[in-house]
Amino acid sequence: MQEIRFHGRGGQGTVLASIALAKAFFLAGKWVQTFPVFGSERRGAPVEAYLRLDDSKIYLRSNVYEPDHVVVQDARLLQIVDVTKGLKPGGWILLNAPGVPRGVERFKGFRLACVDASRIALEYGLGSKTQPITNTSMMGAFARLFGMPPLELVTAAIEREMPVKIAENIAAAKAAYDALHEYGLLDDALVASAAKTARAEAAL
Amino acid sequence: MSNDSVNTFNVSLFFPKSSTSTVTNKTGTWSFMRPSYLEKTAPCSVHCPCGQDIPRIEMLVSRGQIAAAWNTILAENPLPGTCGRVCFHPCEKACNRGQFDEAVSINAIERYLDDAAWAASIAPAAARGSAKGRRIAIVGSGPAGLAASYFLSMLGYECEIFEAAEEPGGILRYGIPAYRLPNEVLDREIARIRALGVMIHCARAVDSAFLEGAKHTYDAVFLSCGNGASMKLGVPGEELALDGLAFLRSAKQGEGAARTISVKPHGSAIVVGGGNTAIDVARSLRRLGVSPTIVYRRRREDMPAFEHEVARALEEGVRMVELRAPLALARLDGGIELKVQKMRPAGVGADGRMRVVPDGDATELIFADALYSAVGATHAESWMVPPDDGRVVRLSHAAAFWDAPVGIPLLYGGDPVNENESVADAIASGKQAAIALDVFFQKGAGAVKAELARCAVGDGTSLSMEIYLGGPRANRSGRVVSFKDIPTDYFSPSEKKRGASLPPERAIASFEEIESSLDAAEAAMQAERCFNCGICNDCDNCRTYCPELAITALRAGRRDDWSTEAGPARAINSDYCKGCGICAAECPRCAMIIEEQQS
Amino acid sequence: MREVLEGSQAVAEAVRLARVKVISAYPITPQTHIVEELAKYCADGSLDGRFICVESEHSAMASVIGAESGGVRSFTASSSHGLALMHEMLHWAAGARLPIVMAEVNRALGPGWNLWVDQTDSLSQRDTGWLQFYCSDGQEALDTTLLAYRLAEILNLPIMVVMDAFFLSHTYEPVDVPSQADVDAFLPPYEPKFLMDTKNPYALDEVAPINVYMEMRRSIQMAMEAAPGIYQAIEDEFYTRFGRRYGLVEPYRCEDADIVFVTAGTAAATARVAVDTLRAKGERVGLLRLRMFRPFPAEAFRLGLAHAKKVIVLDRNCSFGAGGVFAQELKAALYGPEAPKLYSYVAGMGGRDVTVDTFSELFTMTRDQDEPPLGSVWYGVNEEMLRS
Repeated sequence: MQEIRFHGRGGQGTVLASIALAKAFFLAGKWVQTFPVFGSERRGAPVEAYLRLDDSKIYLRSNVYEPDHVVVQDARLLQIVDVTKGLKPGGWILLNAPGVPRGVERFKGFRLACVDASRIALEYGLGSKTQPITNTSMMGAFARLFGMPPLELVTAAIEREMPVKIAENIAAAKAAYDALHEYGLLDDALVASAAKTARAEAAL
Repeated sequence: MSNDSVNTFNVSLFFPKSSTSTVTNKTGTWSFMRPSYLEKTAPCSVHCPCGQDIPRIEMLVSRGQIAAAWNTILAENPLPGTCGRVCFHPCEKACNRGQFDEAVSINAIERYLDDAAWAASIAPAAARGSAKGRRIAIVGSGPAGLAASYFLSMLGYECEIFEAAEEPGGILRYGIPAYRLPNEVLDREIARIRALGVMIHCARAVDSAFLEGAKHTYDAVFLSCGNGASMKLGVPGEELALDGLAFLRSAKQGEGAARTISVKPHGSAIVVGGGNTAIDVARSLRRLGVSPTIVYRRRREDMPAFEHEVARALEEGVRMVELRAPLALARLDGGIELKVQKMRPAGVGADGRMRVVPDGDATELIFADALYSAVGATHAESWMVPPDDGRVVRLSHAAAFWDAPVGIPLLYGGDPVNENESVADAIASGKQAAIALDVFFQKGAGAVKAELARCAVGDGTSLSMEIYLGGPRANRSGRVVSFKDIPTDYFSPSEKKRGASLPPERAIASFEEIESSLDAAEAAMQAERCFNCGICNDCDNCRTYCPELAITALRAGRRDDWSTEAGPARAINSDYCKGCGICAAECPRCAMIIEEQQS
Repeated sequence: MREVLEGSQAVAEAVRLARVKVISAYPITPQTHIVEELAKYCADGSLDGRFICVESEHSAMASVIGAESGGVRSFTASSSHGLALMHEMLHWAAGARLPIVMAEVNRALGPGWNLWVDQTDSLSQRDTGWLQFYCSDGQEALDTTLLAYRLAEILNLPIMVVMDAFFLSHTYEPVDVPSQADVDAFLPPYEPKFLMDTKNPYALDEVAPINVYMEMRRSIQMAMEAAPGIYQAIEDEFYTRFGRRYGLVEPYRCEDADIVFVTAGTAAATARVAVDTLRAKGERVGLLRLRMFRPFPAEAFRLGLAHAKKVIVLDRNCSFGAGGVFAQELKAALYGPEAPKLYSYVAGMGGRDVTVDTFSELFTMTRDQDEPPLGSVWYGVNEEMLRS
């Protein structure tokens, strides 16, 4: 059984993304279970959702404490939420960011993949500059990262689940699928190179 | 396994359900009491000398049914415009609502109705009855004569009125000042009576010889000559007094005429008397710029004048000296000096009024530019009143001399035979005489008293023409509804209102009518205050509260035409009425009764 | 056809398939998505029914009582305070012998305000004459709703289909949605045994004098006593048609178990994983999941626990002053010299998670304790907070 945790903010479609992905996995033949962390559902508040995947019926119905991977839909959440809490060593952090963010040294031992989902979302007119709707872009990147679910099932799920701008959402998912950057395991070398890039940016 | 096999499970199902509906439960068999609709008599109607159906009138006004309401008055009273202004409205004193908050404005509503009917040119429903082939002569066109002619016409008699004055109306035209009763109002009422075919011969004074020869032309004579002769003061110098009645008569003909018999403006006057005439004289003088002082031998509360008129006179600046009896009049410096004896109360007399006796030999002198005498009036000639003959039948408001020596019945009405000298009592005497005559001609003199009793309103002396003619009102019980009969939880306190009055300082500037009419909304609101004692107004409380649904609607909604739809619009189904009495107890109008069932 | 549905949607699907004619509900908190979904169905015509939006849960129950008295299949859903507000009408529905089905999502009662899972709300209604079924997943919620209509209409008693808040009501998972034709065959149109009919009038729900009231109550009890047998017959038919069955209680690996967990709702699903985990470590442990709570299936429990030495009851509820409700009821049902030792634990109230570790710890505590404590043990409580 695989357990994936989604981090986002209320209003970004995080829960919807977890449901749509679950449906795509279901179409691919998996048993799925997804549910949000139940709390106040307020716009802008940090939200979490869980996705369980298995090859047989899932009986376990408690919360997810040790996810295999996490999906972070908003890089700014890194400042306020411990997105790696309970994350299994070597688990992927799929992050909405243009590149390796600052302070990644604390994520050593996990694997990092980034996609500039905010830029892609805005490119396709999804959401606003302050509040881009990045869920479908992240779904595309997710499909690329894990090779599952197949992109066509992701687009099928988007078609079924998204209330508006279906074509734009599908295009964004595809664009993110192509734009994913896998950095792989965050080891000392990658952390050092990221720090160097950050210094260079600061110098500019 | 099929559905059938599963559905054959036999599951206990015993729960509150009975296939016998409440229809089979004839709760009427439990009953030993039986309610019924029985309309009763309202105390206001009993105390109205004309016996008007006041609770119905108020109900119709509250619903905006002006024509029906106005015609309901006209069934009992030909002069609603007059009475709506000048009646002393004993109805309001008797009003049950008075014990709750304030009496209903019955008088003001009557005034409103007549004004509204006039403004809307509503045609009166009262019509001449089918001709009986008899002619009645009526002497005097005051309220008694007018009423007699009106009711006799309704009963099918041909009437001729003989009036000594230039114009008809008697006291209404020549005695009541214009600020209380404008002539236009009287004119339209008389026009309505003429329209019934009544012939009024004005400037046709009659004498006793007329009575002698009347039998050749008429089947009966009704004498309603009024009390046209002022009483003398009966003290030395009485010839110096001016006649109050004569003054009022000239005042009614206009200010100019009034001045011929008045003192100069800013002058002073003494008015001797305590009746309505004295008050009218004083108030009329006030309107001519004079300062009048009323001198009365008893106390203010003993005055026969209507209390509200007395109060108004004082507001207008009329002064009053109580407990002073005139002793002598004398000329002094172009004016009059009145010597009065001081009086003091000395216990209630046999007539229920406070007696007064001289207070030692104390006297006072009062000076004024003129003195008006208004100490009462009496008939001008002896033939105008019933002779002192044992055969004369004294009724409550009239006297009948069936076998008068002149060969035809002579009936007497109005002030000379009425205990209470009022317009409404005069109308009552005209009505009583009309009914009595009709009974006399139909059934003979012996049937008169019983027939009059049959059409009496409640336990009083007022008569109802509608009851006499067998209208729906005849089905009512004579039981008079008292305040304790009304479940007052159904009513909320509200304010009594009359039409607006001119402020006293404006009122005394002219003879303009003081009080104005209520408007339609005010009248409806005031009429709605009426408890409608004893009559069903189709509120449906009985049906709403009947726990056995035993009350059926015979017609949907309310009755529109009360003159044809007799009785309530609801019926009680004795199969289901268990006699609990809730309907009768919850009837806000006391229009039901509950009685032990007759086996 | 299997599709991914939220637990609430699964119930709504069942209501649509049952061709319910009247749905009446109060739409505000603590309501769930169930009626939101049904309102959509009524609006878009996929359900030929009338949705009545009422001003309170009391009115919701009153109006389905009216609808059912008029002879149509009806439905409502509620939770926690909404259910509590319905209380008077719940008695009425049962006394009037109306086969109403309602979904009840277990949510905590305030104050303190808490919208999360807690079974005290439904268990507070145990004496109202309603049958109660507790579900563990979306599929079961759908199936039980269909079974409930069938059973209720035979018994003429109302049924509550109970499900945990969030862990079931808001969780998406694959659910097999049967075809309308299959459901129609299993659940024929409602044929009321009585109804308000203007052409054939009679009085319903009237006065019951002293000489009949007790008989009416006895009749409810008799129908309740007949319910387990009838339910099993209906479920046999359901199994033949749909291939799924649940039972009054559902045993899992109980055959040779010395210690058996008894619990209900989503915790029972997790308990199944815990049993597998403990079995893998060589522990002889099983699970007897409580599904039917009213009528209490005493016989099924006696059979299911015949070989157990110890029973661990996890109650996500508490009858204050007594303890976990399931434990009390079970203790009473098992009473006698042959009864296994019963260990009562109160846990997971107000949304606190019940995990595999929870069961493992309860198992260890129970295994290592020869005699059970007298009352219920509260598990996972921060005693620090209570010290003052």
